[in-house]
Amino acid sequence: MPSPFTFKRALLLALAFGLFTTGCATATAGASWTVKPHQRELLADKIMNLDGDPQERAADQHMLANREGAIGGSGTSGGGCGCN
Amino acid sequence: MQLRRTRRSGIRTRGAQGALAALAVVVAGIVATLAPAGRAAANTEASSRLTIFREPSTGNAGITVIHPQVDASAALGSTFNINAGYEVDIVSGATPRIFGPSSGVDAVSGATKFSDVRQEVKGGFDFIRATSGLSASYSYGWESDYKSSAISAASRSDLVDHNFTLGVGYTHNFDTVCDANNAAALGQPLNLQPLASSAHCFQSGMTDVTTHRLTIDTFEPSLTWTATPRFVVQGGTTIQILDGFQSNPYRAVLVGSQHRTPQEHMPNFRQRYAVFGRGAYALPDARASLTGGIRLYRDSWAVMAETAELNYNQYVQQNFLFTLRGRYHQQTGASFYRTSRDYQTLGPAGQYWTGDRELSPMSNFLGSAKLAYVRRPGQERSAWFSELEFSGKFETLFYHLDSADAPNYDRKVAYIGQTSFALRF
Repeated sequence: MPSPFTFKRALLLALAFGLFTTGCATATAGASWTVKPHQRELLADKIMNLDGDPQERAADQHMLANREGAIGGSGTSGGGCGCN
Repeated sequence: MQLRRTRRSGIRTRGAQGALAALAVVVAGIVATLAPAGRAAANTEASSRLTIFREPSTGNAGITVIHPQVDASAALGSTFNINAGYEVDIVSGATPRIFGPSSGVDAVSGATKFSDVRQEVKGGFDFIRATSGLSASYSYGWESDYKSSAISAASRSDLVDHNFTLGVGYTHNFDTVCDANNAAALGQPLNLQPLASSAHCFQSGMTDVTTHRLTIDTFEPSLTWTATPRFVVQGGTTIQILDGFQSNPYRAVLVGSQHRTPQEHMPNFRQRYAVFGRGAYALPDARASLTGGIRLYRDSWAVMAETAELNYNQYVQQNFLFTLRGRYHQQTGASFYRTSRDYQTLGPAGQYWTGDRELSPMSNFLGSAKLAYVRRPGQERSAWFSELEFSGKFETLFYHLDSADAPNYDRKVAYIGQTSFALRF
């Protein structure tokens, strides 16, 4: 049974994400806090794209939006009633 | 009563939120347009994808959705792209018309077979500059009982030498839903009758059906930070406001001990909020990356949810990309949701009732594996494209419902297969 959502749990999740972010940034930080253009080789690779393939993302969100009560606000149109 | 207070409050703030969203998009668009011009990244691409969704049931035919889609974009100069797409949902299966107990002396009868086809066309443009971008699109979707029009606008602005990106997106839906003509119900929810068939929907002169409006406004700002040469993180929020008919017109709910089965009845107004954080971390020694994120959600129907996702992307040999994905979602139920047994023995929680699994307390886990073949000819003299990609993906979605009297309890797992082909120039 899903555990109830509480503000404490939300806070813990946010804290965990913040620690993860800070930890990754600290572990890999260079001398400067800004990343120069010549340092972006890795970032330019498609596996670093947060959105992935737009078409695949749209298909995934369309499928999940019909099966969960929470959505990410991607502006998926349509809906209908047959998918439930 | 709580729902009624929430709804009135929402109506008071709805205009202000819509104006704020529109203002933010306009301001961001102006910033994008006035930003210095430079080398941009317009591209030409054609892609197709086929998704097959299968949700078997222990009691009936379950649900099958076949979803082909094609998209194309073309560069007009170095800063302007146009794009278009077409997709179809071919849905078939069986689902109970009445949400009620599945066992015992008051068990409802079996599922009814159905099939439907939904189509959508869309088109748009992107205006891309070195440090900013502006895009807009329109889509129109239609099926036998539902029509949807949506306009979207989005902008991005790079700040501090491309180390930060501010993005703003806004979408407005104008949807129309077919429903049974319930004028005889005289506004009494317990007298509402479900729609029996879509045969007369959207036809003039038909008195047994009617149509309802549903408008949806979605506003999503985000901020992306390039934290290090191998780590990118993004945070943002989503605000969505829905106003109009949101029930399933075909579904009835067994309510009370007198065996009344009125049409599902949901509030017309819903406000949804989410905050999210995402990140991507490169593992260059392994030619791999980790991407993932978390999302917290709540809405005015008292649904609260948490979602976490993690992806591992790994290049294999020269041309293959392997991706593993895990996603977990859990949510509470809506304030007016009850199990079928409780709707019968306790009655409804107020004037609303539903048999929608989306509004029940539940959790699910999605596991996925994907293999893509990616070819980039680079500087080869014979190359006439910049990238070719062919991929196949298989996913399994496991549902966990907290009661045997919850909606769709007979469907505990879904399988999703997907294949795609893309050519980029």
